[in-house]
Amino acid sequence: MSDSSPVVGDFSVLGTALAIAIGLATLGVRLYGIQVLESDRYADAGDVQSVRSVLTGGERGRILDRNGNILAENRKAVSIVLTPDEFKRSTRNATMSGITGAIDRVASAVGYRPAITDRAIERHVRQSPAMPMFVWRDIDDATLAKFCEREPGFPGFSIEETFERRYPYGSAAAHVIGYVGRDTADAGESRYHYSAQEMKGRSGIESYYDGYLRGVPGETRIVVDSRGYRVESKVVVEPKYGLDLRLALDIGLQLAVERQLAGETGACAAIDPRNGDVLALASSPSFDLNSFVPTLSRELYTRYADDPAEPLLNRASGGSYAPGSTFKPVTALAGLKAGYPEDAEYECTGAFAYGSMQLRCARRWGHGLLDIRHAIKESCNTFFCNLGADIGTNALVSAARAFGLGSKTGLDLGVDAAGVVPDAQWKMRTYREKWYYGDLVQMSIGQGMLLTTPLQMARVAGAIGTGYLVLPRLNLEIPVERTKLPFAEKDLAVVRDGMRMVVDGGTGRLGGEGVPVAVAGKTGTAEVGKGERRRKNAWFIAYAPAENPSFAIAMVIENGDSGGGTTAPKVDAILKRVFGDG
Amino acid sequence: MAKLARFNWISFLSMLCLIALGTVAIHSAGQARTGEVFREMWVSNLATAGFGLVVYFALAFSDYRRLLAWTAVPMYVFAISVLVAVLAFGSTVYGGRRWLWFFQPSEISKLCVICAVARMYGGDGLFESIRTGFGGFAAGAAMLALPCVLILLEPDLGTTLVLIPSVLLMLFAARVWRRGLVAVLLTLSVAAVAVLGLVYEAERPGAPPGRREAIMKFVPLKDHQIKRVRVFLFPEEDIHGAGYTLRQAKISIGSGGLTGRGLRKARSNMLKYLPESISMNDFIFCVYAEETGFAGSIALLSLAGLLLLSCAWTAHISTDGCGRLLALGVTALLFAHFFVNIAMSLGMVPITGLPLPFISAGRTFLLTAMSGLGLVQSVSIHGRETTK
Repeated sequence: MSDSSPVVGDFSVLGTALAIAIGLATLGVRLYGIQVLESDRYADAGDVQSVRSVLTGGERGRILDRNGNILAENRKAVSIVLTPDEFKRSTRNATMSGITGAIDRVASAVGYRPAITDRAIERHVRQSPAMPMFVWRDIDDATLAKFCEREPGFPGFSIEETFERRYPYGSAAAHVIGYVGRDTADAGESRYHYSAQEMKGRSGIESYYDGYLRGVPGETRIVVDSRGYRVESKVVVEPKYGLDLRLALDIGLQLAVERQLAGETGACAAIDPRNGDVLALASSPSFDLNSFVPTLSRELYTRYADDPAEPLLNRASGGSYAPGSTFKPVTALAGLKAGYPEDAEYECTGAFAYGSMQLRCARRWGHGLLDIRHAIKESCNTFFCNLGADIGTNALVSAARAFGLGSKTGLDLGVDAAGVVPDAQWKMRTYREKWYYGDLVQMSIGQGMLLTTPLQMARVAGAIGTGYLVLPRLNLEIPVERTKLPFAEKDLAVVRDGMRMVVDGGTGRLGGEGVPVAVAGKTGTAEVGKGERRRKNAWFIAYAPAENPSFAIAMVIENGDSGGGTTAPKVDAILKRVFGDG
Repeated sequence: MAKLARFNWISFLSMLCLIALGTVAIHSAGQARTGEVFREMWVSNLATAGFGLVVYFALAFSDYRRLLAWTAVPMYVFAISVLVAVLAFGSTVYGGRRWLWFFQPSEISKLCVICAVARMYGGDGLFESIRTGFGGFAAGAAMLALPCVLILLEPDLGTTLVLIPSVLLMLFAARVWRRGLVAVLLTLSVAAVAVLGLVYEAERPGAPPGRREAIMKFVPLKDHQIKRVRVFLFPEEDIHGAGYTLRQAKISIGSGGLTGRGLRKARSNMLKYLPESISMNDFIFCVYAEETGFAGSIALLSLAGLLLLSCAWTAHISTDGCGRLLALGVTALLFAHFFVNIAMSLGMVPITGLPLPFISAGRTFLLTAMSGLGLVQSVSIHGRETTK
């Protein structure tokens, strides 16, 4: 050493070395904590921010009629979609204006108007930039051709095939089948970040059996970058097809029924009274189900909504009508059950007087002396007013309830009106008024506050024919449920005789030829409204064959002439279709 | 051959290994970028390393004493000149005026100041006569303060924070007036603790309104620096704003696990959760640690340890005061870089912009670090000729 006292002491060097060792060891310990002990926590945090789970819908099941005819199916639809990644700019505003400009260019090339609002675009880019955005859904072939022939194409736009619903029969059974919409359920509620907009039933069977028809969704995982754009995706669970649903409906019969209703406002329900199969359920006017695919246009929606005839209303199971004289068989059974002898007679003088009121009979000069069978045949108001007045409200109401009136039928369709079977309590509750004698008399002939649906009345007709009230069903897999009517077989026989006579020369004479089986029926002409707005709803209910019924039907035509004149011929035509050769 | 026998192989080889790791890390970090210049950054960095090796050997095999005798003062003057120049003509990148044409003066100035201090206090330097007295202390403080003030004006807090302890350690080792050094050290420590305390009080959740403004008047930091201190103190607050980078850094490092995700598979980097602007430079350790896991982190720390301790060994075995100071200064500087860079990625110190030696992309600092190690190698080769 040249210097006895070195400039730099060993202490400084050793201290530095020690500091280095301690410093690096400290880092090592901390790294052990983060990379080994807490690694899972940080990896999870990384997953949360960079992995998105997407629910992919399975293909929706078909809806078939009882003979396997397809009522609703899926078809491949072509949509123009936009991939937000391709328009990625440094700011969202720049991305947005890039996208809207590009959409405008495509729009003018293919001759469409932009179908998507700026707000929808902005929301999509903000919430799910990793997902394709549907700009035009379900485009037609000509537009597709225009889109495809353009060279070099539209960067960022592509064609995506999706499934859209198709209803081969258009407006037939529209109220039963129902339509679908896009499921816009908030993705935030589930563990999925996005869900491919699945079809979701919005009405009818599509809605009621949505869970059944809907496939089992699959799951796709998308890895997104820090701005949320898709980097890669992987199918984790394949989606599964939904199940096909076979209905009790007979589309041939349905079409025949709808032909009879064409041009009218009204409804018809036809069931098999042995098992409750709903063979036809028609409401007129109707609408084309395909107009809801891919979505109902605003103008068409306005037209449907503003139409006073309410085409979207399912009158067959959701329309409540006074049953009029078609209720008389129920009054008759109530009377027989209350002990009224089957051959006892009332005299009809053409009107029934109570208090200061007079209730006229259809035949002005009166039917004279009538027994219960002939009273049904001639639909004598006087007779049934007397009978109702004799047995009282409770007997009449319990008979009506025994036929399922005043409560929902239990039909497996969202639309299932209960109607009204009024009594003193109901009237007090609803109108804050006492129950008068007149209310009872009116109800006896199916008027007043009594309300029923065509489906309920078809059930009543069938129940009289078989003695059992049946649960109506559209899905053939629902077990048959029948309830025995609380009426004696001999009482039922009396009413059946009366209803046979209605068809054979009574108020509801049917053509006869072409229908090789015996039919039992009842007409009804219910008066609704007062004064200027007084209208008549024309009813006919029937079951056949009379001795062993396999078919029951109820039809109502709003603003008709009379049950016998307006509706009976229509039902006759349907019966020919069912039992005839043609 | 006598020279090769004294060659510090451990220092040299560990440096090469670190450069290799750095090349891989820069390549990985670049793959997340779209710009060609970034994707190919590893090539230019490797080329710089090649040039750096030439400089390294040139410095290693020339006698540092002769070199410093002639160049120490010009180097210091040069450093101060470019630091002034960058303030006048430099270009602004990410909020700091740090670039002068193609290099960053503050990086070069670190080594220049260390060389100058080593020369002045190394035994037969200018300050030998006043070394242990107040004069030596005052001269050293001035030599340190001038570049520090200029660097702080850029502003580049990080560089000052590594330069001050490195030079103070050199002065300390050179037995400069201890009381003065202790006073400076104490003052700086108290100031640092005071700043942390004040920011803590001001930013503490639930602090009464108005307190923040009242306190901040006494904190001589810029807004973005206060933000970084706040993130350091409250890492869980504001994870989408100021705390975003630190959170992403920890997610990235933690996701690496024991053995890492594999090369070019660092998710935080590839999916750009780790901001592009820093993934190649100050936060490249995150990319490296996610790809190679704890195993890779330990490998890197071990190489750094080998390198630093072998340099310290050079200082230890050197019998020349200037050589010892030089080796010590370079060792301290590199250690400060290694420690502060990794520690800030782990949230152990506030975020400051400091490159990770040999790993971060950055040609100026790579050349500076290799030159520094070349000088240390020269000390190893030439600094032991005690009797001639």
